[in-house]
Amino acid sequence: MIHRSALRLIKMFLTRSEYDRGVNTFSPEGRLFQVEYAIEAIKLGSTAIGICTNEGVVLAVEKRITSPLMEPTTIEKIVEVDKHIGCAVSGLIADSRTMVDRARLECQNHWFSYNEKMSVESVAQAVSNLAIQFGDSDDDGGAMSRPFGVAILFAGCDEKGPQLFHMDPSGTFVQFDAKAIGSGSEGAQQSLQEQYHKSMTLKEALTSALTILKQVMEEKLSSTNVEVVTVTPQKFFHMYSKDEVEEVIKDIS
Amino acid sequence: MAVVETYAGYGPIQAQRFSPYADNGGSIVAIAGEDFAVIGSDTRLTVGYAINTREQNKLFRLSDKTVLGSCGCWCDVLTLTRVLNARMMMYNHEHQKVMGTQAVAQLLSTMLYYKRFFPYYVSNILAGLDENGKGAVYHYDPVGHYERNYYYAGGASSALLQPFLDNQVGLKNMENVTKEIISLEKAVAVVKDAFISAAEREIHTGDAIMINIIDKNGIREEKFALRKD
Amino acid sequence: MAHFGMDPFSAGPLWHNGPAPCGIYNFPGRPTEAAGGFIERSKQPITTGTSVMAFKFDNGVEKGVAIAADTLGSYGSLARFRDCRRLFKVNNQIILGAGGDYADFQYVQSMIDQKNIDDECLDDGFSMKPKAIYTWLTNVMYNRRSKMDPFWNNFVVAGIQDGEPYLGSVDKLGTAYEDNIIGTGLGMQLGVPLIREAFEKKPLMSRSEAQQLLVHTMEVLFYRDARSFPKYQIGIVTADGVTISDPLYLDNQKWGFALYVSLSLKPEIMCF
Repeated sequence: MIHRSALRLIKMFLTRSEYDRGVNTFSPEGRLFQVEYAIEAIKLGSTAIGICTNEGVVLAVEKRITSPLMEPTTIEKIVEVDKHIGCAVSGLIADSRTMVDRARLECQNHWFSYNEKMSVESVAQAVSNLAIQFGDSDDDGGAMSRPFGVAILFAGCDEKGPQLFHMDPSGTFVQFDAKAIGSGSEGAQQSLQEQYHKSMTLKEALTSALTILKQVMEEKLSSTNVEVVTVTPQKFFHMYSKDEVEEVIKDIS
Repeated sequence: MAVVETYAGYGPIQAQRFSPYADNGGSIVAIAGEDFAVIGSDTRLTVGYAINTREQNKLFRLSDKTVLGSCGCWCDVLTLTRVLNARMMMYNHEHQKVMGTQAVAQLLSTMLYYKRFFPYYVSNILAGLDENGKGAVYHYDPVGHYERNYYYAGGASSALLQPFLDNQVGLKNMENVTKEIISLEKAVAVVKDAFISAAEREIHTGDAIMINIIDKNGIREEKFALRKD
Repeated sequence: MAHFGMDPFSAGPLWHNGPAPCGIYNFPGRPTEAAGGFIERSKQPITTGTSVMAFKFDNGVEKGVAIAADTLGSYGSLARFRDCRRLFKVNNQIILGAGGDYADFQYVQSMIDQKNIDDECLDDGFSMKPKAIYTWLTNVMYNRRSKMDPFWNNFVVAGIQDGEPYLGSVDKLGTAYEDNIIGTGLGMQLGVPLIREAFEKKPLMSRSEAQQLLVHTMEVLFYRDARSFPKYQIGIVTADGVTISDPLYLDNQKWGFALYVSLSLKPEIMCF
């Protein structure tokens, strides 16, 4: 005899399976399961943190070194999009390459057409336009048959000053003061909420980001398994060298 | 009427060769000051020795900070400015801001170069305020080369207007003058004088001038009569 | 937004505002040639109409636009067709006058007829306004000239736009302008100055005065334009609607000014 709740679970599984295949088919509850699963996929990715201050934006990510034979520097999780914009990604990194390519392309195209830096929001918008071009039909030449499995933090400085944007696989992008994505994001976001304040300096943000990262990481934090970038109005995109990272780590207990 | 060679034995026939271009005359002058820009154009539209209309404004307000003066092949002017306005509107919607003068300057260049092998036969001068509120004048060739200047003349009478500006605004070939940035009053007066002189000697320029004065308070418009013959 | 409708996996059009370096170009406006095929283009007009004259009038009581064109279809210098009517009632507020190639005009007429039918199908009670036809014509003409296959016409759009007289002109290149007095062809050289002069003397003109002025202008044009004809139509647009007259004849022709034609046998008189 099967338990009633188990029956319900099976039934739910059955109904769900009708709607979680087609990426463009809403379930009766108004959900797009593939998109939701894609958002779940990000939670498997390594943690990335972004903090926006008046002096600039900090991005810090964890690099998962799964083997001692692995070359850590080949894991690139923070990339330069343009001189004034960087992004941190979490989730299916291969997917992120496509999106970062688009972001870089849009920036260069904007510079070519208008001789000015593209704003951070416009870059997020442009990438979002790509992110929602998934579908299972052949005729509209959709970008992908499935949603992208990445979340992205866009950090940049434009005429509106330092800004941080978060985008998820649904293409939704929202501005944040501080945001964490990836496996440790829940805990990290909680800590960010506690530690963030409007008058934070860039240095405080750096320490804060790495402290929180340290807390949520399974491995011991070191200069080889984190990537740190700042985007400031003065120096724009700046990737921290091993020495610079160690300098920051020294300050964390 | 060009003589077109045809097959042997038939002899040449007279045929009108179609040219997609026309020269509709018109001239433009623009002067940039410290915190303003002045741009003027005549209002005569011609084809050959005939005048289409005496009241054709050739200044196009692109935003509160930017005005484009455009003349040459009038059908190209109409199309170019229409496309440019659409591009500015699209930019406005895409980026939630008004396109700045420098961005317009670059966009116009790319738009002109896009038609490199079937060009818009147009003289363009762009005047406005840059992002620091300083006066800016950009001038273009028909295929997109552009340059920022303090003053420039373009169109049918450019060869008459430019030397005058070089002397009066650029203070070239002048002795014992202190080189200082031109005042608004002087700039407007120079624009008028330049056109009065040009209208004396060049038949495709005349009837009246429209002047746009761009400063931090917006754009003011002024009309000034020229000789009508 | 720049990338909708293209293959999103390709590198994307980095140079989408200009020709890509090293690309094989198909430049805008250049007709693509079918393999071994020829492209037909109109290189010259065949059956042609001459000037169209039009001007706005307003005396405070009556206001509108008056327009006139003769009915000759010339075949080169041959006066070939004697009843080519060149004033076209677009709707109750617009007259389109045309000069140049008559076949092209008829083609444009059929396009406008189709537009009117499409408009009618919407059944919203709206019809095109003069400015809309003028702008549409400008785009059509510019498009064709950019394909190096122009409609060989001069168009004059006369109408009432939101209660006010409207007058605009579009030529075969897409050169377009609005004015209070418009003449095309020889009418621009001979007719417009006559009308300007009349308006300087009498700026406020009634409908009948406008009509008289047009008759006079058409008469002068007939005497001096070798491709003109003494049979012409006059159209008037006011807020009350459009009227296009049946062809009028220029009778009582005065050839007195051609006196010296008959005296040409006496060369000493010709030597002024």
